Amino acid sequence: MLATREKRAEFERQALVHTDALYGAAYRLTRNARDAEDLVQDSLLRAYRFWDSFEQDSNCKAWLLRIVTNTFINEYQRKKRSREVLDAASAEQSTTDGVLVHAESSAQRSPERLLLDRSVSDDVQRALDALPDDFRTAVVLCDVQGLSYKEIAEIMQTPVGTVMSRLFRGRKLLAAALREFAIDQGYVRETPAPGATVPDTKVDKTIDLEKYRAEKKAREGSR
Amino acid sequence: MTQPVSLCEGIETLSMAYLDDELAAEERRELELHLVECASCRRHLDAERADIELVRSALVAPPAPDLLKARIATMLDAEDRVAARVERSRWTRYVLPGSAVFAAAAALLVFLGVGMQPPEARRIATAPREVVRQQTRSLPLEVQGASTGSWLRQHFAPVEPPRFTEPGIQLVGARATAIQGHDAALLRYLVNVGSNRVSLTAVLIANVPDELFSGGDPVRVGGLTLHLHDANGLPAVSYIDENRMGYVFTSERMTAGELLSLVGTSDLIGRAQQLR
Repeated sequence: MLATREKRAEFERQALVHTDALYGAAYRLTRNARDAEDLVQDSLLRAYRFWDSFEQDSNCKAWLLRIVTNTFINEYQRKKRSREVLDAASAEQSTTDGVLVHAESSAQRSPERLLLDRSVSDDVQRALDALPDDFRTAVVLCDVQGLSYKEIAEIMQTPVGTVMSRLFRGRKLLAAALREFAIDQGYVRETPAPGATVPDTKVDKTIDLEKYRAEKKAREGSR
Repeated sequence: MTQPVSLCEGIETLSMAYLDDELAAEERRELELHLVECASCRRHLDAERADIELVRSALVAPPAPDLLKARIATMLDAEDRVAARVERSRWTRYVLPGSAVFAAAAALLVFLGVGMQPPEARRIATAPREVVRQQTRSLPLEVQGASTGSWLRQHFAPVEPPRFTEPGIQLVGARATAIQGHDAALLRYLVNVGSNRVSLTAVLIANVPDELFSGGDPVRVGGLTLHLHDANGLPAVSYIDENRMGYVFTSERMTAGELLSLVGTSDLIGRAQQLR
């Protein structure tokens, strides 16, 4: 009994204090309040069951975010895909020449679905919808959670260079989509914002600090 | 000129890493010096900064809803209960922790005096057992937050949700239910027990017949007689007021003593005393 109480108190002190942060990540990953709640709940249950395997001195938030991210990738995406097969309105977003296009297909949606969408989503969620999962995950972990490239690389189990590329493209696509929505709704006039750069996903630019460092070193060495 | 060509070439990588604070001190200085001289790279950095700021400000996410936090507490309670069942016998639930307040200690003395036989031997009342069964299912609440009181009056009966003088107790929400065919309302609270935040369930049952609540041990608290039940291994506290409104309180994370002392600070006691 004491062991259970101590475990619970420790878990509440170290893990549950991050509930808001986990929900924030889940909300942006799933783009839907209901799925976000389920994702956080499932992830915390998993974390609680594997609490013994958490190394006490390491970063608890990063550990929890890894569980959220993995649960999202493994289960929610699969669930979502199987749902989309049934959902005739799934093909509402497409990416053309790197610019996001959002086509409202209201006619194909049920009233409940529309109501739900309106209550939980916004332009941001729609812009996120159109991002590939890997890009979205990198952006959420960096720009919502403030994790370092290295921490993101560990969570996503990819090299830092890959994280940087996904982050770079994800941000460009997202920023362009957000400006697009702002123009559509008349928040801003249709002149490119000072920071607006047209996302170029066709040219496969290398955004990789390690590679840059290696090339720079090689160049200096040959001088 | 000693300006290395590679700075301009790598500006996309460098400006992003610079803004994300991922550059080494030396790289940072080098880039800052370069930016003073290179307008093109400066423009690039500004554009990158604008993109990142736009994305960050757009992605600020809402905090977790209270209802989710309550659901998580309930879920962890259930998880602990499974662990606890393995760990200990049901008897130890009735051992009062050292930190419990005086009221609970007094209540427990009465309780021990009355109910010395093992809980298994006692007849288990139907209502508390049904309440415990219901509270372990995490069905969604129909209403939450400040409107719970008006919802209760509109959908159930002209009655206020029980309130507690103990600080830090939060009414999360409610849903309609039925206990053995009687209309009932299930209210969920969050309560502090030590350093933990645990969920407490209160079920109100209208026009309740006495037999529905039979089988508990009477405990005098604050001049009122509450009944303590063992419902499937969990403690439940019941009370029937002068309008035949039945109340059952239970929590998967509280001992019988903690539960009794908490109900002892509720306004049920106050309401009844005012009537007297």
